Amino acid sequence: MSVMANPGGRRFRTLSTWGISIAVALAVVGFVGAMQWNSSLARDQFTTSAQQVLAGQVTDLEDEQDTLRQELATANAQVQRLQQQSTGSSVALEELNRQLAVARLQTGLSAVRGPGITVEIADSKRVVPPGENPSSFIVLVDDLRDIVTALWASGAEAISINGERLVATSSIYGVGASVLVNTAFLSPPFRIEAIGDDGLLERFQAHPAFIGRVAQRIDFFGLEFASQVSTELRLPAFIGSTRFRWAVPSEEGP
Amino acid sequence: MTRNMAQVSLFAVGLLVGLLLIGQLRSQARPTEISTLSAQELSQLIETLSSRNGELRSALSDQRDTLREYEAAGPVGQSALQVGREDLRRIAAFGGLVPVMGQGISLEVEGDLDAIALNDLLNELRNAGAEALAVDQIRITARSVAVQGPTSLLIDGVPVGRRFTLRAIGSPEGLLSTIERPGGIIPQLEQFIDASIVASQSDDLDLPATQADLTPQVAQPDD
Repeated sequence: MSVMANPGGRRFRTLSTWGISIAVALAVVGFVGAMQWNSSLARDQFTTSAQQVLAGQVTDLEDEQDTLRQELATANAQVQRLQQQSTGSSVALEELNRQLAVARLQTGLSAVRGPGITVEIADSKRVVPPGENPSSFIVLVDDLRDIVTALWASGAEAISINGERLVATSSIYGVGASVLVNTAFLSPPFRIEAIGDDGLLERFQAHPAFIGRVAQRIDFFGLEFASQVSTELRLPAFIGSTRFRWAVPSEEGP
Repeated sequence: MTRNMAQVSLFAVGLLVGLLLIGQLRSQARPTEISTLSAQELSQLIETLSSRNGELRSALSDQRDTLREYEAAGPVGQSALQVGREDLRRIAAFGGLVPVMGQGISLEVEGDLDAIALNDLLNELRNAGAEALAVDQIRITARSVAVQGPTSLLIDGVPVGRRFTLRAIGSPEGLLSTIERPGGIIPQLEQFIDASIVASQSDDLDLPATQADLTPQVAQPDD
């Protein structure tokens, strides 16, 4: 059958092709829409009014935390500005301010920049097979701890997770499926930035703390993972409490 | 005309399919959206966030005190020096640069603790509010992690034996109750690791300064 021999037939076939395409696409729309409708119904059933109240409290606490962190960052900046203003007033003050700047740099209280690597890890996009534990397919707090351990052990000088700078008192803590770092509640994807010298990525990828568990989970469960070398990363300073209640320095400063 | 309409229709349908698929993928993601957490998880989160916000309020109050002291001292003289020295002592203690003393708990550990278990223990103590930590004479800093060495665990390149003491300065009751509670880190470790961990409160712990050089080699201040 020749198209040229029957122009009317060609028009008919063209319309049919478009019609079938649209029908198939609409069927997919209907299917996906129904899945979404069903899953949202299922979620709604579990969201009780008590949970809504609790969720509201969490949101309020997070908002309060944002405000507190901003105010603390401002107060930190003001203190450092006053210290810098006093530089040059006397030799002793100048030396003291130099020591303060070094101590802040050593302890994560200064924003820093430098070469390093960025590691991103996120939940698997695979559909959880029947009978499998869904939590195997999401990033666990242990995955983040293993990555951080491998980075420190590989020579990282400064690390942040989703902008939370790690310091001597930092913990990476799981609350249910949620992750708390310092004071912040973090959600995936998790972006871990580490400043360090050449070869940090290779050392990290070969470190037992990385290949022991998390690398296997990435392969096995399809956790999303990417790493990249950067010539310059910028990490923020730690924002949080630095004043001890229980520990007292037992000698003069450094 | 008909062909154009069909193309526009197909484009619109394709766009709709894409948006719905994105929505579906998101709905399969972890329950970290607050509205999807269980009541128990939400309660735990509220408790933790309330506690952390309390720490932030306290830190803000302290820093505002420091600010007032600097302003009162002015840019010159002994007062400015005194405020600055106090600030330096605080930062040095915070980062492990100077020895510290105080109340806390002491853990006598003996057995086959692996690097993961020791790092988990340190993490748990930090989360429970430990202000300063030391494994034997190794002061734990931000960068201190336990790794498996050729013959033993290593922290900051220093060997840790099968028997060691882990000291943590902080609220003795708070630290002890956190690590010993049912389902806490000590019951967990004792279940899976062949090691004994004996924890006790202490009124006078002395922790050394770190021996590691924490001065960065490539990281520069980002003013």
